Amino acid sequence: MNVSVHAVASPDEITRAGQQLRENDRRQEIPLPVILDIFGQWADALADQSFRAESAVTFLRLWLRRGNLEPIVARELGPNALDGDWEQEGRARFRAFPLGTVGHWPAGNVEIQPILSMTCALLGGNACLVRVPSRMVSITARVMEKLAEVDRTRALLDRIFMVTFDHSRIDLHTAMAQSVDGAMIWGGAEAVSQVRALPFPHWARLAVFGPRISAAAMDAQTWGSESERSSWCRRIARDVWQFDQQACSSPQTLFLERGSGCDPLEFVEHLKKAFEDENRQHPRQQIEPALTSAISLARASWLLGDTLNHAVFPASPDWTILLGMGTEIPNPTQGRTLSVLVVDDLVKVIAKFDGTVQTLGLGIQDDQKEEGLAHVAGRNGVDRIVKLGRMHVFSSPWDGMELIRPMVRLVRHIGSQE
Amino acid sequence: MSTLTEIESGIENLLAQPPYGVDPIQRHGAVLELLKKELAYGCERNARLRNYFEHWPIDFRVADRISDLPYLTVGVFKANPPLALVEDSEIKRTLSSSATTGQVPSRVVLDAATARRMTKAIVKLIRDFIGPARRPYLVIDTPNNFSQQAELGARGAAVQSLGSFATEVVCCLQAGHEGDATLDLDRLVACAANWKDAEVLVYGFTYVIWTQFVQPLQRQGISLHLPNVRVLHSGGWKRLQQQAVTREVFNHSVASVLGCSVDRIVDYYGMVENVGVVYPDCVHGNKHVPAFADVIVRDPLTLQPVMAGQRGLIQVCSVLPMSFPGFLLLTEDMAEVIDYDGCPCGRRGISFRFTARVPKAEARGCGNLDSSRILPTQGSSGA
Repeated sequence: MNVSVHAVASPDEITRAGQQLRENDRRQEIPLPVILDIFGQWADALADQSFRAESAVTFLRLWLRRGNLEPIVARELGPNALDGDWEQEGRARFRAFPLGTVGHWPAGNVEIQPILSMTCALLGGNACLVRVPSRMVSITARVMEKLAEVDRTRALLDRIFMVTFDHSRIDLHTAMAQSVDGAMIWGGAEAVSQVRALPFPHWARLAVFGPRISAAAMDAQTWGSESERSSWCRRIARDVWQFDQQACSSPQTLFLERGSGCDPLEFVEHLKKAFEDENRQHPRQQIEPALTSAISLARASWLLGDTLNHAVFPASPDWTILLGMGTEIPNPTQGRTLSVLVVDDLVKVIAKFDGTVQTLGLGIQDDQKEEGLAHVAGRNGVDRIVKLGRMHVFSSPWDGMELIRPMVRLVRHIGSQE
Repeated sequence: MSTLTEIESGIENLLAQPPYGVDPIQRHGAVLELLKKELAYGCERNARLRNYFEHWPIDFRVADRISDLPYLTVGVFKANPPLALVEDSEIKRTLSSSATTGQVPSRVVLDAATARRMTKAIVKLIRDFIGPARRPYLVIDTPNNFSQQAELGARGAAVQSLGSFATEVVCCLQAGHEGDATLDLDRLVACAANWKDAEVLVYGFTYVIWTQFVQPLQRQGISLHLPNVRVLHSGGWKRLQQQAVTREVFNHSVASVLGCSVDRIVDYYGMVENVGVVYPDCVHGNKHVPAFADVIVRDPLTLQPVMAGQRGLIQVCSVLPMSFPGFLLLTEDMAEVIDYDGCPCGRRGISFRFTARVPKAEARGCGNLDSSRILPTQGSSGA
């Protein structure tokens, strides 16, 4: 098997690839240290100049480093897993073994998600059948070429088969589903529902990530601080810009806790400056007309909705800040449209979250207050609570779930002579 | 002179011009000045509208291009109650769009003056394409779709707007027992035999003509032998595209069942929110803008007007509506600008072609939620 992304047209091609993956996987076990070694070399190879402009690849390099992955493996599979040993627990011992072949259905908004998802299953020792969304074929193939350069024995490459096909080809999705023992599914509501409904084998385990949205919150001491305001605004802009605000970890609404002497309009002026700067550095190259319509409608609806509502936006659809009051997250527009809502009490706002919110980005000066907010957020369905500016940093757990363990079997052994 | 009187006088002046004969630069200047007055009037009449206009990146009072003026999107007319510039007591009629199943229709309110101007404007535009004569009017619809009602759908409004050209009105569809419509073939054949070589005006929604008129007549192998008909149709091609019916197939089929030539069939683009303005195809297949309106095709990436030969989102502009803020509206349709002047048909100004409805955004991201989990916004107000 080569490393290119295969444009498949018939279910048979997928079925055959699935059988080949299964044979390769059964032929030889791959020790975790070998996987980590190859990943480390792959990270080095990705330092290539040709990827300099790709911020997603920069992140992938950090993800693949042994120093990043070892703690995740140790936490999810146990510290002995790094040496391939069993974990002792009383008279029993445990060890993780792969499920077999894992299918990956990444979302279409995060360029490196097909590869990130795949690496999680590879760390569990699995083979991977990966569907690459059409707009990511090029970047995925380029990144995989670097893996081919370092994986000369094909220890990993023979466990990977990447396919691309139109999302409407149910027959090809079905062939994929029937070829796997587990699946990692990422995406929006419609996509996730469609994939979950596929005829997976009865033993297949599914790990579903998304659909979720995210929000941000700041206390008055933080957003009202003249000296730090610009820095916080840059962090917010960064979180809004990445993935064009379409990721589950993208903030759609920023809640500002009211404080005496703090003017939200003044804060929005700083945010505007940060958005303008970010837009200069990362201008949009294309947009779907439907998103332009949605952004235009969001601006108009917000300002027509209440005479006290405020907004800042350029003539283009590049970005939008909608300022007002309200304790609930408005229906997200995405496309760099941030609702900024002034509230009396952050606790009351977060207590209303309903499980939809994945990540809560925080800017809170008081540690104790932040701990209290984190507890309320956790109680109300939030899975990640991070500092503003780090909302997209991918790590385990994600969506409240571990990344490697869902795709392994934990085998228990009690010695027969006990 | 009051502001309103001044504006109405300005509208009448533009309506009095030859609809497609005004130099584009002159028209731009006249429409721009009138639109600025109308926007100021809208600010006086509606505080929410004023809030929107005041946040626009360019102050409309000093704008020197129509494309810099603040525009609404057609989606804002899905609000209930409809966005209005008149008191409830002044509303004579509400027009609603032909939303497909599950969608919320747009609704716009008309006072007497706006309704009168709408009729006057449409007659003026259609006359430019079919001539001024009155003639028998064959409506490919059921009578109950356009009877006098306080709230009228897009189909009914379109049918009624052509009534001024009629000596008699014949509806050739009849409502069935289960709400469906069937062709009243006996009546149709009798009328056709009576009209023979006379000039006849035919109107229907595009998909209604196809499914309720052309297909039944084709199935029975009937041609009506009406060589002097003028067929106007509107409402879009989406449903026909789903059935893989091309414009060419449609035109030839319609011409075949009516017994006329293909050039007697005119497709026009229009929407209830853009009252009084329709965009029929000229003989070169292009759409044109009358003296009292404008069309801007905007690049979705920048929202700036595109150059000739490029495609973008259609923004319609009209000085006619004074009962609702329909002056400048970004639509959910796409068009290609053919040229900014010089169509061989002789009509001045921009010529464009409708290309498609804005396709539904592909739900790509993991942040695309099923909206039922999102709580509605409540109690939003200013900071």
